[in-house]
Amino acid sequence: MKTIGVYNSKGGVGKTATAVNLAYLAAEEGNRTLVWDLDPQAAATYYFRVRPKVKGGGKALVKGKREIDAAVKGTDFRNLDLLPADFSFRNMDLVLEDAKKPTKQLARLLKPLSEEYDYTFLDCPPSISLVSENIFRASDAILVPMIPTTLSARSLGQLMEFLEDHVQLERLPVMPLFTMVDRRKRLHLELMEQLRVQYPGIFGTPIPYASEVERMGVHRMPLPAYASSNAATRAYRALWDEVKRGLTG
Amino acid sequence: MCGFAEDFLIPEGTGSGDVRELIRARRQFIEDPASELTRRFFDSFDWRLYRGGASLEERWESGRRRLLFRQLHGDETVSWQSIEVDPGLLRDLPQGPVRERLKPLLGIRRLLPLFEIRSRRQTLCLLNEDEKTVIRLLLEENRLRDHAHHGAQPLAVRVRLLPVRGYETELRDTSRMLNVDLGLEPAGASVLIEALAVTGRQPGGYSSKLDYHLDPRERADATAKEILLGLLDTLEVNVEGAKANLDSEFLHDLRVATRRTRSALTQIKGVFPTELVEDYKTRFAWVQQITGPVRDLDVYLLDFDGYQASLPVPLQPKLEPLRDFLVGHYDEVHKAMAHALGSRKFRSLLETWRSFLQAPIPEHPTAPNAMRPSKEVADERIWRMYRRVRKEGRAIAPDSPEEELHELRKSCKKLRYLIEFFSSLYPRAQIGALVKMLKVLLDNLGRFQDLAVQAGHLREIAEQMSVEGRAETETLLAMGALVGDLLGQQQQARIELAQVFTDFDAPENQSLFRDLFAPTRA
Repeated sequence: MKTIGVYNSKGGVGKTATAVNLAYLAAEEGNRTLVWDLDPQAAATYYFRVRPKVKGGGKALVKGKREIDAAVKGTDFRNLDLLPADFSFRNMDLVLEDAKKPTKQLARLLKPLSEEYDYTFLDCPPSISLVSENIFRASDAILVPMIPTTLSARSLGQLMEFLEDHVQLERLPVMPLFTMVDRRKRLHLELMEQLRVQYPGIFGTPIPYASEVERMGVHRMPLPAYASSNAATRAYRALWDEVKRGLTG
Repeated sequence: MCGFAEDFLIPEGTGSGDVRELIRARRQFIEDPASELTRRFFDSFDWRLYRGGASLEERWESGRRRLLFRQLHGDETVSWQSIEVDPGLLRDLPQGPVRERLKPLLGIRRLLPLFEIRSRRQTLCLLNEDEKTVIRLLLEENRLRDHAHHGAQPLAVRVRLLPVRGYETELRDTSRMLNVDLGLEPAGASVLIEALAVTGRQPGGYSSKLDYHLDPRERADATAKEILLGLLDTLEVNVEGAKANLDSEFLHDLRVATRRTRSALTQIKGVFPTELVEDYKTRFAWVQQITGPVRDLDVYLLDFDGYQASLPVPLQPKLEPLRDFLVGHYDEVHKAMAHALGSRKFRSLLETWRSFLQAPIPEHPTAPNAMRPSKEVADERIWRMYRRVRKEGRAIAPDSPEEELHELRKSCKKLRYLIEFFSSLYPRAQIGALVKMLKVLLDNLGRFQDLAVQAGHLREIAEQMSVEGRAETETLLAMGALVGDLLGQQQQARIELAQVFTDFDAPENQSLFRDLFAPTRA
């Protein structure tokens, strides 16, 4: 199983859309795929029309009172399952702090699922916290969606620094990508060019701004499921090919 | 698996459309467009998949051709694999998950098509109040197409529950709705089992293993006929597969049945007229003879990878010309055998033999043991043969000539066959233990003899290859190394024989034989 953390400490950069749409494309290819919605706002859970409820909350999962696979829900799509969010996930840091080896809890919880899934996408809450550190420790790679704006680029720098400061995370592959790109905005184009020089690892495919992406909340399903020929869908497909290459390379 | 049915049958006269409307009145759903699916089911001739609790189907679905392997019971995950050519032997299947799961079950047997099922299917996605799919229902109208029967035969219409993970309550509720509200019967069997029943096939119907249920008081000649008739059935059903060389096991089973026939004829003594026994003994020896050369080649080819691996690495590729040689001669040798198996001589042998076996037993037989109770004759024959094996085995010393070991092997085989023919007359557990013991002894003796024969045969092939100018020096040297290795293994078998026979001749085994077969002293 390959575990992909989708992370950015800044909110509203398209993390959930990236996680949900890439997971859909992975599953469509026949890969057994899981999305774990770790964000108490439960946007991914909402997109899949699942109730944001895990019996006993995050505490029961971490303390082993509830088996993680009993919390998994099948989505409307073949090969694609969801571990729903729960409102209690907002207190996840406190629960993790109480546990032994507090930074490795998520990795431990995912272990029994490793035979069951080919890909797991972690949709992360926007923060720098014990939860994020857990996500880094559990992931084979971190996808960092960012809008080409100064603020969201700044958070990439912060992430890089954080990883460099932690010996176990030094080698974790970081895969940044541009989202909500508006080619009519000069600032977007300039920043993209500038950032590509600074971070050569940024994926070549930018996800364009598209109103269809915003409609995911109306359709309550992944973008490719209702807008298969949309430009953004095509971009997600190209991006997914790049991600797969990045994971094997 | 969760204590409720997953498949329901729709009664005759009701269409899947009617059921759909009944469900519509109760639940909210969206329907996927109907699709056509063609499935072809496969198993080996001896039902290895069925016996192993598995099934294999080839599916054509939206232009794709794939193999699907599944367990018939339990909730094990299914495996898929794309294919481009008809499935047959395992070695011809591309690497993949289905091949991996077939491997332990199928061995060297060929996958043969059983029949084809064409289905019109439609999925209903049952929704909850969030319009989320919580369970799927698959409506399936199936038609069976079988080579033996012309045209398509309709099978029962099915509704299958396809659970969505994490929605167990909805699954139970829907199962109850189908069963209680709609009055649908749970399907007792899968579509595969249903189709097998319709075509009148008995799954697991063929096995090369002997399985008789004999009556100890039955006349010995009648029992002998029953045994021989079973062997003839086995022999006959394997003829076509051996002629077509579907896989090497057809010929193997045919030859085993022939060998057992000869053994039964000669070892169940005094139940048939002597001239008749002599006549068929000779005629079945001919069958052994015409099928021998192909079997030899089969054995070499089946063992070839092992031979190659036994050589030092640099010599391994040098053996390839031998494989080419064997493969090159195979067709010609097989053609000769197929011709003989299609000959009038062979057909008439089987026909006359069957009519003899099926004829009523004579009221006043001349053969001395014909009218004696089977159990009495069986005891006597097995006891005698056992004593012979014991005597011959005990007489073997480290310097005994090879012929004596060969004789011992023949006696052992006769003893084993006799015990197997009559096994239903004795307690199962004890017979099982005896046969197991005999197998160990026979394996050792078999290794000793077969390795010598193979080594000798390889030498002949080497000569033939040089005559035909098809062997480089390197290849001949590799074959020499192989012969040396085979003879080394043969010597090893000989060294081990002493211990193997001592184990066989242990006092507890002696008393086991005595208790089961020795005549009771008055």
